[in-house]
Amino acid sequence: MDRLAGGDLGALDLLYEQYGAMAFSIAFRITGDRSAAEDVVQDAFLGAWRNAGRYAGARGSVRTWLLSIVHHRAIDAIRRRRPTVELPDSETSLPDTLTMPDAWGDVELRLDREAVQFALTQISDVQREAIELAYFGGLTQTEIAERTGVPLGTVKGRLRLGLQGLRAALLPLDGGRGGGGG
Amino acid sequence: MAEYTFAGMTCSEAAEQAPAFVLGILSPAESDAVRRHLAECPELHAEMAELNSVVPALFVAVEPVAPPASLKDRIMAAASADLAGRGQAAVPATAPPPSRPTAEQRAADTQRPAWDFGALFRRPVWAALAAVALVAALALGAWNVQLRDQVAGLEAYRTGVVRVLDEAAKPGAQLAVLAGPNAGGPTGLAAVGADGSVAIVMRDLAPTTGTQVYEAWLIAGKEAPVPIGGFAVGGSGSAAFGTAHPALGEGVVVALTLEPAEGAKTPTLPIIALGTAHAQAS
Repeated sequence: MDRLAGGDLGALDLLYEQYGAMAFSIAFRITGDRSAAEDVVQDAFLGAWRNAGRYAGARGSVRTWLLSIVHHRAIDAIRRRRPTVELPDSETSLPDTLTMPDAWGDVELRLDREAVQFALTQISDVQREAIELAYFGGLTQTEIAERTGVPLGTVKGRLRLGLQGLRAALLPLDGGRGGGGG
Repeated sequence: MAEYTFAGMTCSEAAEQAPAFVLGILSPAESDAVRRHLAECPELHAEMAELNSVVPALFVAVEPVAPPASLKDRIMAAASADLAGRGQAAVPATAPPPSRPTAEQRAADTQRPAWDFGALFRRPVWAALAAVALVAALALGAWNVQLRDQVAGLEAYRTGVVRVLDEAAKPGAQLAVLAGPNAGGPTGLAAVGADGSVAIVMRDLAPTTGTQVYEAWLIAGKEAPVPIGGFAVGGSGSAAFGTAHPALGEGVVVALTLEPAEGAKTPTLPIIALGTAHAQAS
């Protein structure tokens, strides 16, 4: 990351080789459009390129840091199709995971796709739906409430219980390998 | 849990927003309020950390989709252009700093003079280019050139410098040092031959897009600028350009502007770079 912060194009090349495909997959999952996904990934890698110096304050792995930027940019992209949603300034804003206080520890889980997909089956359908609408659909809690026809408080409860349930399902699968790095 | 209010948000309110916060779906104002609350209040950190630990796992669940092969080229080209536009020296890939610099050190780095001969010669990759640059610097008295870690762009630039200096060394030829109004901006050289040939080499130009071109102009005395041709610039930010125009005499000014398309008859301000051509002492 020091190399990236120093303007080393080779470091950027390496970063793309490692995470470009995953970044594109996430961007495509959120935008549903290859062209938009390409723009998101390009924007995200350039964002990482320009803001690599801020990574020093982040606690997660490089992968999580980068993919958080991808997610953030992709959500921005689909929200711009819905002009009623308040938008952050995409040039200056960064995901919250990049700007959290240092005192906030990171307990990142490291799992393969099958394990995560299995864990997703361990929470209720409505909890999974709420998380997916939020995380991959970019819907606000109010929008999720409207979409699913339940009160806002119920949506908040489903998101919380869903995340807690996922964590409970993932921890045994993680086998104690949790921790930042990478 | 103790109840505090920070940034206009109680602990209960912040806790209620915690899942949406880690999922990144709060509005900027809501998100900022939670963030500022967390900065002051440690009560919620453990819960936030637990909820947040799940989020990266969601990335892993995504079905893989292969990106187009061209995407990487696009990103690298854009990063090269970004690097050219930063106006600061980059750390060479082969010599990473021994330790992570602090924010203060990084800030100080950006304020260092761009021209550091000592550092220049500690970098073997620059040796050939440095020799060319030094020749020009001695000939001109002062040549403020920034050397950066864009090998591709520098190679093109080096080749262009050699060509311009060769042209400037011909009898009756003049040499101009081109620079923008701001330190760290585009720099380059132009040779104006006695036969009317003009050779220009530039670096640190912002890449052109669409139909944009950099137009070169000759300005003799108080005469109107004369367009002598345009060129596009890619991601490297470097360009070498050759053209010809009937000689306009000693002391002609060579200038560059960025035009929306080829064929400009009058320059679009601001002038990107300019310099006055002078005959070289034999």
